[in-house]
Amino acid sequence: MTETAEQETVEEIDLTAANQVIDKYIDMHGALMPVLQGIQEEYGYIPEETVHLTSERLNVYASQIYGVLTFYAQFHLQPRGKYIVRVCMGTACHVKGAGRIAETLKGHLGIEHAETTEDLKFTAEYVACIGACGMAPVIMVNDATYGSLTVQKMDDVVKKYMEMD
Amino acid sequence: MVNLTIDGKEVTVSKTATIYEAAKEAGVHIPVLCYAKKLLPYGACRVCLVEVEQMKGRLIPSCTTPATEGMVVTTMSDEIRKVRKTVLEFLLVNHVVECPVCDKGGECDLQDLTYEYEVVANRFKGEKFDLPTDEVNPLIERNMNRCVLCGKCVRVCDEVVGYGSYSFINRGFETKIATAFDRGLNCEFCGQCVSMCPVGAILPRPFKFKARPWQLKEVNSVCGYCGNGCTVTLGTKDNEVQTIRFNDKTGVNDGNLCIRGRFGVSYVNSDKRLTSPLIRKDGELVESSWEEALEKVTAGLRSAGSDAGIISGARLTNEELFLLKNLSTAIGTGNLDHSGGECYKGATEGLQETLGLQASTATFPQVEKANAILAIRTDFYETHPVFGMVVNQAVRQNNAQLTVIGDKQGKLTRMPRARTLQHKPGLEVNILNAMCRFLLDEGLAKTEGLQGVEELKDALADYSVEAVATATGVDADAIKQSAKELATVENAAILLAYGLPYSANSRELGLAAANLALLTGIAGRSGSGLYLCGEKSNSQGAIDLQILPVTGALGVTGMLKSASEGKLKALYITGEDMLVSYPDKGLVETAIDKTAFVVVQDLFLSETASKADVVLPAASFAEKAGTFTNAERRIQRLNPGITSPGQAKTDFAIFQALLTGLGAEAPATEAAAFTELAAVTSGYEMVSLDMIGDQGYVWGGDTLAPETRNLVAVAGGKAIEAKYQLVVGSALYHSGTTSLHAKGPMSVVAEPYIELGREDAKELNIADGDLVKLKAANGEISAKVKVDRRMPKGVFFAPYHFGSLELNRIYCGQTAIAVEVSK
Repeated sequence: MTETAEQETVEEIDLTAANQVIDKYIDMHGALMPVLQGIQEEYGYIPEETVHLTSERLNVYASQIYGVLTFYAQFHLQPRGKYIVRVCMGTACHVKGAGRIAETLKGHLGIEHAETTEDLKFTAEYVACIGACGMAPVIMVNDATYGSLTVQKMDDVVKKYMEMD
Repeated sequence: MVNLTIDGKEVTVSKTATIYEAAKEAGVHIPVLCYAKKLLPYGACRVCLVEVEQMKGRLIPSCTTPATEGMVVTTMSDEIRKVRKTVLEFLLVNHVVECPVCDKGGECDLQDLTYEYEVVANRFKGEKFDLPTDEVNPLIERNMNRCVLCGKCVRVCDEVVGYGSYSFINRGFETKIATAFDRGLNCEFCGQCVSMCPVGAILPRPFKFKARPWQLKEVNSVCGYCGNGCTVTLGTKDNEVQTIRFNDKTGVNDGNLCIRGRFGVSYVNSDKRLTSPLIRKDGELVESSWEEALEKVTAGLRSAGSDAGIISGARLTNEELFLLKNLSTAIGTGNLDHSGGECYKGATEGLQETLGLQASTATFPQVEKANAILAIRTDFYETHPVFGMVVNQAVRQNNAQLTVIGDKQGKLTRMPRARTLQHKPGLEVNILNAMCRFLLDEGLAKTEGLQGVEELKDALADYSVEAVATATGVDADAIKQSAKELATVENAAILLAYGLPYSANSRELGLAAANLALLTGIAGRSGSGLYLCGEKSNSQGAIDLQILPVTGALGVTGMLKSASEGKLKALYITGEDMLVSYPDKGLVETAIDKTAFVVVQDLFLSETASKADVVLPAASFAEKAGTFTNAERRIQRLNPGITSPGQAKTDFAIFQALLTGLGAEAPATEAAAFTELAAVTSGYEMVSLDMIGDQGYVWGGDTLAPETRNLVAVAGGKAIEAKYQLVVGSALYHSGTTSLHAKGPMSVVAEPYIELGREDAKELNIADGDLVKLKAANGEISAKVKVDRRMPKGVFFAPYHFGSLELNRIYCGQTAIAVEVSK
């Protein structure tokens, strides 16, 4: 139990991309945020190995990095799906049946808020408001918006994505 | 200086003082939870709010607000009382009140304040946390349901320790203090966080349910492990040291300790302690009376006379060592030595030949103000962790530039901006030589008043930075940059630790470091210093008292060689487990075998003691009075906190009895012995016991001026050609062999290990915890593997503390050992 042994999980991942991101920002003051954002862009989430790598190369404690990662909602410590399904739970959508939309999603994919399907295809996120109340109930799949949903329409949307790669 | 008025009292304080500090100066009490003297101001808890006339309309946090000229401060009013009470109510919304079973009870700042401000009911209601306690680690219990988020643990681990275990995680109500990935604590276990926590959120697990604080008797003594000389305040009850109490007022360590000092003192209460003298009868060691044992020892030593050898450990007090020296005279032998006999030669020969000194030239606190620091060997942190924390504070708070000459990475190399000159094993001297050569070539060396400049220049012909860089594998510019810094900054420090696992090159390293200290002007300059730090609690005392062979007589190595040829008639070994900790086990075995009469004096029936003819049970540091001299020449007093188990006696009492038995005089008390030793010990002449106060007494003063300024050329090492090389050393969690009897260190590192890097692990297809065999020229060792990224390719490390590893079968004092690896 020497000083670096942080009960490391030996998840074998290729650190080349993370190293490249760090190379890009290493001389910048306050490099941590852009580095973490860059790593997330490369890997889709922040793998634990990259936290230890960043800690070592930027000379920031791993605990501190973990503090930053858990503070900001933008960072994810688990792999995320190819399609991020954001189900709006704002007041308008709530009144117009967002609950049933979420249930429909769960019925098809078996995932609730912040969960990801095992094949890493879908991640569900219930969000407060996406600012499209006129289209309630509304969801977003990555950058595409689907409004005025019914259970029927939601079925179609989900099926469409399930058939895609 | 600024003048201000606090509660009607006028006070003058330094410009950098806060209102809180000014109030303290004026004797006015302001409550605090998140403030600590040794940490930077933070302002998290808000209980220190005060009124300032010039800042009317709101209350001001006194611990973060600087005192300014003319300020008029009121520290208590109805308004302040009300607000502080509200703050406490807020803190108690989620704090789980379980004072009856909380070990902090009786010395909990939150409990005391709640009582003082009579917070009997709470107007606010909120959720209580129900977080699991940290059950993974054996020493530090973290119960985050009691946490008030003052952040002291986070800050001390960063600002003082430099480990960075903790951080605030999550947001808002969910905020809590956690480790990376919110796992169980897995760190150095120095317990600084324990000492800082104002509530019962972080507690020492071994002390759980042992005693309420007011039941403990507190005794200030000096830690018996390393040469740092930290004050340990023993909390005793029922003649046992129950815990170590926080004390930042006494001694040199500012309340900081390492795992050994805080959790490693339990060996004094071990049930394995020797409680009676033992004498070998018909091949078996059997209990005997003191009379019989002492008679046998007196007779044996007297008849051996000049053919007796005395080998001492460096954890005996100055007074005991003084008596031991007298004893050698009474026996009529000059064969006297300590601690392996080779490892301290950097001080006794290296510094002696150059500076005319045998000690560090400056004190530890000066390092905090250093601008450039050179640490020779990364293991410096492992042998002297609390001094390492001073280095950390210099780096973090004074922006000191740290350079580390090391054959591996370590805690020091990971400090901010640390520059690591990572070299092939055994080449430290080469790098120091290159630095000297560079300073001389560039005209940066301060050669005025130095002897031997030309000779050194000639001798360093082969040590151009480029040549050394190629030979050692270190970047040439890094060597130059470090040398330049050391020579040009205002305050600089060179650190070098010595000890039993570092006997190779000791004299050479001392010489090379002293040369560099002379050329950079570090030696003898106020604010700068060359530190040669002994591994054991009284290593410096042993040198000061000259527990060394008299001219013409034998040192440890000579004694062992002579004894192994059957030429010594008696060996008297006090406080050393030579069979485990000395290089070349075979030699020690033969020496003990071939010597007719062997006496071992120790706390435990060590491997060495089990081979003796007479074993004398000695006392631990917690049971004695006397003085230790630490690695910065600070003489500090020990005070007995408990009595020895059974019939065990202090080494002092044993030596007294032996001296009397031999018909020689012996001082009646430790105090009398100090007076006598001070009169004959260089540097101690003017010291009397009453001069040794709470901060000890530094003989020779804060800055010790060199007696001579001789540059002495010294040859560098040669890298060995082997694919795999083993280096030996000390591990952070242990010190010598004594800590193997302490529950704390053993609960973290219980068995020997061989450390290697990831690349080697992959190549050799070895995983953490696998058993590995290392075959060297004179033997083989086997232990579990620890894979750590700090080890460079081809370099393995093994700690020397564990007898079961038999490391000294293959370690005979080499800088590096060529090994073949097999599973």
